[in-house]
Amino acid sequence: MSTILEDIETQIAGLKTSTSKSNVGVVRDTGDGVARIEGLSDVMLNEMIEFSSGVVGLALNLEETEVGAIILGDTTRVMEGDEARTTGKLLSVPVGKALLGRVVNTIGEPLDGKGPIKAEASYPLEKIAPGVIKRRSVNQPVQTGIMAIDAMVPIGRGQRELIIGDRATGKSTIAIDAIISQARLNKAGEEGRLKDFRPLYCIYVAIGQKNSNVARALAVLDANGAMPYTTIVSAPASDTAANQYLAPFAGAAMGEWFMDNGMDALIVYDDLSKHAVAYRQVSLVLKRPSGREAYPGDVFYLHSRLLERSARVTEEAGGGSVTALPIIETQAGDVSAYIPTNVISITDGQIYLETDLFYQGVRPAISVGLSVSRVGSAAQIKAIKQVAGKIKLDLAQFRELAAFAQFGSDLDAGTKARLDRGQRIVELFKQTQYNPIPVEEQAAVLWAMQNGYLDSVPVEKIKAFQVKLQDHLRTRKEGILNSIVTKKAIDKELETELAAALDEFKSTFQ
Amino acid sequence: MKVNKEVRQLSRQLLRASFTDGQLDGGRVTSLVKSLIEKKPRNYIGVLDAYKRLLRLEVEKRSATIESATELNAEASAKIVDNLKRKYGPDLATEFVVNPALLGGMRIRVGSDVWDSSVRNRLQRLQEQL
Ligand SMILES: Nc1ncnc2c1ncn2[C@@H]1O[C@H](COP(=O)(O)OP(=O)(O)OP(=O)(O)O)[C@@H](O)[C@H]1O
Ligand SMILES: [Mg+2]
Repeated sequence: MSTILEDIETQIAGLKTSTSKSNVGVVRDTGDGVARIEGLSDVMLNEMIEFSSGVVGLALNLEETEVGAIILGDTTRVMEGDEARTTGKLLSVPVGKALLGRVVNTIGEPLDGKGPIKAEASYPLEKIAPGVIKRRSVNQPVQTGIMAIDAMVPIGRGQRELIIGDRATGKSTIAIDAIISQARLNKAGEEGRLKDFRPLYCIYVAIGQKNSNVARALAVLDANGAMPYTTIVSAPASDTAANQYLAPFAGAAMGEWFMDNGMDALIVYDDLSKHAVAYRQVSLVLKRPSGREAYPGDVFYLHSRLLERSARVTEEAGGGSVTALPIIETQAGDVSAYIPTNVISITDGQIYLETDLFYQGVRPAISVGLSVSRVGSAAQIKAIKQVAGKIKLDLAQFRELAAFAQFGSDLDAGTKARLDRGQRIVELFKQTQYNPIPVEEQAAVLWAMQNGYLDSVPVEKIKAFQVKLQDHLRTRKEGILNSIVTKKAIDKELETELAAALDEFKSTFQ
Repeated sequence: MKVNKEVRQLSRQLLRASFTDGQLDGGRVTSLVKSLIEKKPRNYIGVLDAYKRLLRLEVEKRSATIESATELNAEASAKIVDNLKRKYGPDLATEFVVNPALLGGMRIRVGSDVWDSSVRNRLQRLQEQL
């Protein structure tokens, strides 16, 4: 108590003597969430300014006689003639573990009614990404629990993998599944069931979405026990364009705190198409010149400086990482529109979701041919590499052959075998939502497929076979699954054990 | 858009021509305005408006407002004016205002710079810090 009093005492003493110098201006007009201010001759770009009513703004346009600032917060409380003053601060958000389990807005204020957030630090929204010396290449996996992704387009910690597709093709679901999978792994790691496990904390940034969508995501994450490891940053469609434009940067700042402290974070930006639209709106009301599709010229820089902040840093720098899963919505599958091409060229690969596949019942509707991961395979564990190495090729060949096979019935034995195999892989990769599969079960199932255990099972029974097999392994053959986890590879000994287990299982399955 | 640009350029040129020896010259301003009205170039009303605004900003940059909670005595005000002129140049215009809302102390504004030693400001800062 006495130290607090002393503290206040010194602060008062400081105030007695000091005269504060500040730089002020006068609001000339406001509209569309933007204030034009005369004066403010010393303001810096992206500096936070404070209006006389206490509302804060962000200086974005510095002109000869005027400053254009976006108003963050209640725009109705900023009026013509109000005084605005510089604060010398950059806009920052609270960061740290206190944010886990919370739903916050763009400036980190709680939206979930669970009381104030006692954050240990705050970070500026805009920060320069780690340089080349501090970075290292990706070598640890992000297990999404989605078999098609983990096997064919693996994601590593520090990677930026785009999820792209038309509306309602299951883009958000993939991201949510990945978050749920991390929560399960984190929990297992806390209980000491995984060796050398590094927890992965998740940040879900919802930009320009319906409030009901955000509420649904929250409910799903909550029901699956993922919220203790997750922060939701929400700037829904009803929020101002300025807040929507800044929300991903707030999420990135929160993720960076984990990276700077030697931990790993996963950020989902759902979605950057709406983010670009919000930025376009902000730019237009600030009267900045517009370019292609009326987007401002610096929209590429906007997304690249955001996504460049995901990185894996070296051991000397703490070894932390930020992984980004940006989402882009296309119109009628057009990936050559402005924003999609931009983000495709920035990221380290993409997961392309197809409407046709989605309605054929292939869910998640991942297009094998158009999905790639440029760096993730370096992070795959050996067990998956062993069983999944050829799958992408098999599947691509199958798609090609299947198109041919529609016309003729005379197929040679080799082609027929490839078609059969392909159909079974497609079945295996179908997966219900919110149901991530642990990597060891994925390895076992794919091993069974590679070694022909599924060839005699009719296609329509594959899914049932897979579910029962996973069940069987989990309940009766825990030892095998555990040794896949610890060995991270399938050696001779494991192969014989797996073969025995599968023979036993097949004899009971009909 | 085009018209706007012309207006901006012309008004800026006018402002640049309004100075003698780095100081705003009233006589020049009047003659510039008179000649503009006589010549009536395209959109001259808009130019005059923009010119007026630039002049206002220029004048604001060179004028000081000294607010105090109570009336200052002649000696103190002379000293303040003297100090400000030394810092900002002899052409600085000064204005004294009594503002009881400050509670005590002074607040001096020159252009967009503000020095605030008022009690109100100290209380506000204390509130922010606690
Ligand atoms: N693997 C799946 N199995 C079954 N249903 C799924 C699967 N993935 C997604 N869905 C369903 O498809 C619908 C659309 O999914 P989702 O909202 O994830 O798509 P989206 O691409 O994010 O849509 P939007 O364009 O609205 O953001 C949802 O109703 C979801 O439940
Ligand atoms: Mg979605």
